[in-house]
Amino acid sequence: MRILIVEDERKVAEMVGRGLRAEGYQIDISDTGEAGLATADASEFDLVVLDLGLPDMDGLEFLKRLRIRRAEVPILILTARDATKSKVENLEAGADDYMTKPFAVGELIVRAKALLRRGPANHTQVRRVADLEIDSLRKQVKRAGLRIELTPKEYALLEYLASNHSRVVSRTMIMEHVWDQSFEGLTNIVDVYVRHLRAKVDDPFPEKLIRTVRGVGYRLTEEGAA
Amino acid sequence: MNTRSIRFRLAAWHAAFSAGIFVVLAGLLFVQVRAYLETTLFETQARRARQIAETLVAQLPKGGEAYLGRQIETLYAPELGDRFIRVTGPDGSVIYRSGPPADGSFDPARVGSLHDGGSVKPTRIDTLSDGSKLLIASFGASPGGRGTYWVEVGTSGEPVDQLVSRLLILLGLGLPVVALAASGGGYLLVRKALAPVEEIAGKAEVITQHNLNERLPVPRTSDELERLSIALNHMITRLDVAFGNSKRFVADASHELRTPLTIVQGELEALAKDTATPPEFREQLGSLLEEVERLARIVQQLFALSRLDAGEANADSDVFDLSALVVGTADQMALLAEDKGITVSKDAQGPVFVEGDRSRLKQVIVNLLDNAIKYTEPGGSVSLRTEIKGGLAILEVSDTGAGIPAEAIPHVFERFYRVRGDRGTSDTGAGLGLAIVKSICGAHGGKVEVKSIVGNGSLFRVSLPLSEKTNPDSTAPF
Repeated sequence: MRILIVEDERKVAEMVGRGLRAEGYQIDISDTGEAGLATADASEFDLVVLDLGLPDMDGLEFLKRLRIRRAEVPILILTARDATKSKVENLEAGADDYMTKPFAVGELIVRAKALLRRGPANHTQVRRVADLEIDSLRKQVKRAGLRIELTPKEYALLEYLASNHSRVVSRTMIMEHVWDQSFEGLTNIVDVYVRHLRAKVDDPFPEKLIRTVRGVGYRLTEEGAA
Repeated sequence: MNTRSIRFRLAAWHAAFSAGIFVVLAGLLFVQVRAYLETTLFETQARRARQIAETLVAQLPKGGEAYLGRQIETLYAPELGDRFIRVTGPDGSVIYRSGPPADGSFDPARVGSLHDGGSVKPTRIDTLSDGSKLLIASFGASPGGRGTYWVEVGTSGEPVDQLVSRLLILLGLGLPVVALAASGGGYLLVRKALAPVEEIAGKAEVITQHNLNERLPVPRTSDELERLSIALNHMITRLDVAFGNSKRFVADASHELRTPLTIVQGELEALAKDTATPPEFREQLGSLLEEVERLARIVQQLFALSRLDAGEANADSDVFDLSALVVGTADQMALLAEDKGITVSKDAQGPVFVEGDRSRLKQVIVNLLDNAIKYTEPGGSVSLRTEIKGGLAILEVSDTGAGIPAEAIPHVFERFYRVRGDRGTSDTGAGLGLAIVKSICGAHGGKVEVKSIVGNGSLFRVSLPLSEKTNPDSTAPF
């Protein structure tokens, strides 16, 4: 699959490109709006990652012109603004998702994948990580065949970690998915919940599944996995 | 009445000045009228004295002294005309003296002699021993070279005294009237002239950093007040520009910091996740990432504050129940308190509807509750209360924590302010949380106050205007 990145900050473009390339996508980078439109005309893309602060044209202008050419392609916006107003404007102008700088590349990859699938994370009813079973229909969790009782927040946290199986999710990402943006910056709440979740899911068992990646976040993965 | 006010002082000066001028003019008038009346009377007496001297005294050698007396009686009837006439011979003997006047205003016998005080004066005022006053004119004649005969004609000075004393009374009565009229009129005049000052002052009072786009009223009077208000408006414009520049600076700075932060965070994350990175480096990278996160948070908060300053808070405005939001938010944060062994109690006195940006007001609750939990020792308690009081929606967050020292209280809502000796071990905040709370409350037309006793705890009270639409359903179509 092919992704077009329209971003004038070379380092940001390269960083995002590297992250997406590592996931097996083919990447094209344009550093101006005009170049981006020309590239979009020349080839078919499955996703466009667009920085709104382009040097040669207004991001929303680019969005509208791109939509005329490619009505279907999903667009993920990167913005240094985070005014509620511009969020609404972006989505109305035809963006499918948006991210505010600074963002974690990991989160961008998660969102890009969701857009490429054209829908929310896969709807597998039962997810398995080692001997942990998460039944998203019944909202039940079992480990080694034993029922584990979780509060709704703990369940939501575990399910979010499981849906990003073996990928590191940042505390900010967890915050936005499990809580909401009013809690922005209150990342210690994530740590507290993770600790409680570990007490139920990991502590009674020899194999620890919830890992901490210091400064980055958490991931749910089998022992021995990279 | 403020005796230091320009209005009062101008009116008082005006009254004093008017009264002073009145007194001077009245004095001059009094002296002039008196002098005029006396001169006129003297002239009349002098004319008569001369008449008698030239006609009757001239006939003295022919007719004799008795004849003179009779002639005077016949022609001038001094007693009936309340007049004094005396003719003195060259040897000083009185040839004729009129009798007591009909009105008894003076006693002719008490009139001093002609030569009192040396030479004969053409006019004099003779104060009699009984106190009555006589205005006397003298005229000399020398018929047939027999020496000088003096004719004195006088009249009572009382009518003049009466007239001038009546004038004095009149002027005396006029003084308070003039003073009163001058002060009253002056006061009204000054008040009218200074009315725009009141208006300008009233408007200037309500201009703060949040409504610097407003201007003072300019009275179109082409006077000093118009100039003053224009000058003040220019000053407000300069302030507006300066404030705007500083706000824009914060917004621009936080905006410009985002891209480099993204790059730093992204590259560090890539290294931290890279399995080729030695574990000891990963620790350090993690520490760096934590600081980047903190930096990003400050940038984010500064940006949020600059947006609130720009008045963009209520982009998403709806009517909702503050009590429900408080209860819901507290539930979401319950584990945070539980983990620290702090009990959180909620006391919601029924629905409290407010209108505003729900996620921003939720941030107010989150920040206050987070602070309360942060500064309360394990085993303490935090309570949340919502109620309607005095037509306002009230939210109170109180704790049994460390409290805030009195000297720090006026500053807790300032940006980057931190209470000295603040032992926030896990606190990575920059001291912007309460500034954001204040800005959000302000943007919603409300306010936040704090009361605290060191060692006993703190109480934060948010008051917001109640929504006019008490039921959110009423805004929905049927």
